[in-house]
Amino acid sequence: MNRNSEIQPADSSAEPLLEVRNLQMQFPIRRGAFRRTVGFVKAVHDVSFQIRPGETLSLVGESGCGKTTTGRCIVRVYEPTSGQILYQAEGQERIDLAGLDNRDLRPFRREIRMIFQDPFSSLNPRLSILQIVGESLKVNQVASGSELEDQVASLLRRVGLRPEYIRRYPHAFSGGERQRIGIARALALKPRLIVADEAVSALDVSVQAQILNLMQDLQEELNLTYLFIAHDLSVVEHISHRVAVMYVGKIVELAATEDLFRNPLHPYTEALLSAVPKPDPRLRNKGARIRLEGEVADPSNPPSGCYFQPRCPYAEDRCRHEEPVVREIAKDRWVACHFAEELDLQGFEAIGSTTKR
Amino acid sequence: MQPTHTRLEATGAEDAERLLEVRKLKTHFFADEGVVRAVDGVNLSLKRGQTLCVVGESGCGKSVTARSILRIVPNPGAIVGGEILFQQRNGDTIDLAEMNPRGREIRRIRGGEISMIFQEPMSSLSPVHTIGSQIMEAILLHLPVTRQEARKRAAYMLDLVGIPRASEQLDAYSFELSGGMRQRAMIAIALACEPQLLIADEPTTALDVTTQANILDLIRDLQQDSGMSVLFITHDLGVVAEIADEVVVMYLGRDVESGDVDSIFHDAKHPYTRALLQSIPRYDSRDNRRLYSIKGAVPHPFDRPNGCPFHPRCDDFIAEQCNRIDPPRQVISGKHSVRCLLYSTAEEAPNNKDMLP
Repeated sequence: MNRNSEIQPADSSAEPLLEVRNLQMQFPIRRGAFRRTVGFVKAVHDVSFQIRPGETLSLVGESGCGKTTTGRCIVRVYEPTSGQILYQAEGQERIDLAGLDNRDLRPFRREIRMIFQDPFSSLNPRLSILQIVGESLKVNQVASGSELEDQVASLLRRVGLRPEYIRRYPHAFSGGERQRIGIARALALKPRLIVADEAVSALDVSVQAQILNLMQDLQEELNLTYLFIAHDLSVVEHISHRVAVMYVGKIVELAATEDLFRNPLHPYTEALLSAVPKPDPRLRNKGARIRLEGEVADPSNPPSGCYFQPRCPYAEDRCRHEEPVVREIAKDRWVACHFAEELDLQGFEAIGSTTKR
Repeated sequence: MQPTHTRLEATGAEDAERLLEVRKLKTHFFADEGVVRAVDGVNLSLKRGQTLCVVGESGCGKSVTARSILRIVPNPGAIVGGEILFQQRNGDTIDLAEMNPRGREIRRIRGGEISMIFQEPMSSLSPVHTIGSQIMEAILLHLPVTRQEARKRAAYMLDLVGIPRASEQLDAYSFELSGGMRQRAMIAIALACEPQLLIADEPTTALDVTTQANILDLIRDLQQDSGMSVLFITHDLGVVAEIADEVVVMYLGRDVESGDVDSIFHDAKHPYTRALLQSIPRYDSRDNRRLYSIKGAVPHPFDRPNGCPFHPRCDDFIAEQCNRIDPPRQVISGKHSVRCLLYSTAEEAPNNKDMLP
């Protein structure tokens, strides 16, 4: 019944594989002929969380909430403005990836890999599958020649593709197959942490299910850790052990999946859950849907106090003046809301999961 | 061999209620490499005031079906067979499939009697005209009003779709609005002339869940007020469960199953429909970690399988039958019909109630 107790791979006392502390990422807004900086978009604003070895942590939120930027800071596509990204390398001291330059990052780039959203634009159409998947093996001088081919073939087999396809080019594959190629590429250097940025969002449901199953199988076989970035809450609910909800560059709630979906503590989480269409017509009009008024706040000019306050149905005076901090109100339950203890919010179940069977 | 036709023609009373009836529609694309049978014998029927959802994966022909109705199929596509019977406001029934796609007649219907909204509002709205002028264009084209009256009506429409400060926003350009507001503006354009039928092609796919929920509510409210019919095209079964009265499931240009929303979700017959329903991650499937997935992928449009188009991926495949015989449309009960050899006589249909996982 309780899935989390069953599949929880890492107890919370284990050393985190990755710890993000007070991560900030600001993008300058430049205007005018001299490209003067007139302000900053605070894409990620003081974000902290841990990823435990072997778990799947999901970052969810609406577009522009900073989830992708956070992922890109971790793989160091971006250099964070401030904060720490502490990575526990095998048999070594913890290292702050945020401060490293490109050369020192090299060994870690092998261990932290990324899978991208769009399987059509993330594969170079002029390279064969052998070249795409084998590139990192070659660059890192892991293998070459026929050994390289063997390794790529076994990677393809592992992700469920026929090794005979090794000389084909990406255009010959469907969306789901391309996503498998992207996964094979990410697996080539035996990574420990994979940042999957909307890895299944562009796929049809039937193919999406195949890729989700594949990712779960690989996690078990290879003891992978995933940072799963997504906006589809039913997918997130299915694959993650813990979930962090982001809103305008901040984490507003972080909890074990079951707790978060059953008993959300932040009003934004509640609103998000209630907006997800339930795939059962008999649940229509059951449970009140929370209509969020207004628009997502502008990250270059956020509102005072709590960023969610202008849209929050429970907002009080205090919310307009005082910015809530993320606090741990029960073991492993983090929330940034002044009234988290007092509010009685609806989870997925109150709105109604399928009652029949 | 056409039980549905005779049945529908027999009941005259229902006839008056029927706004749109598509019979055996075939839209093919004549490419250099061969003929793509994008829509290959689709039947659908829509009553006044109701919502019909066409659901299927990418490449199943759902968008081409919608575009065929409005006669905006892009080159090299053409309708090669079938009828699209539409009851006009004056009570006459016309066959849209026979019209000249550039003629005066169809242009009167587009925007006036049938309107369409698209997935990506940014690419459907003109970036060089204000929102107001785009709404006014539609109004001036179809209604006998002056510019002042048209502008007034445009402001009224923006207000109706819930755009704040409507009269000011008339002079805004599409890029100045957020995604949700742009979609609202597009709905305002579509509804400006009070069409009888709104065709919505994945109107919420590019939006965040909270925005999606608001847009779905809006469409439903507007429909209740005006009594228009909605043909809603989507791949998201959650959305279907929220809004549909009736559902048509498409696969490779065929309507493999159609029926009222409850029978589709709770008494699905076609193996494809059942597989689709089982492959969505849902909250109550959490005990079961693996998702059901349909093997393989949607075939390439040029090598369409013989017989039932779904047979290479079907778990209930009958050898020497499914790959040869094109399954006819079988009425299960009432409006519920299916194209599958498993049900070639309705009595023999196995009891597949409650196929939901």
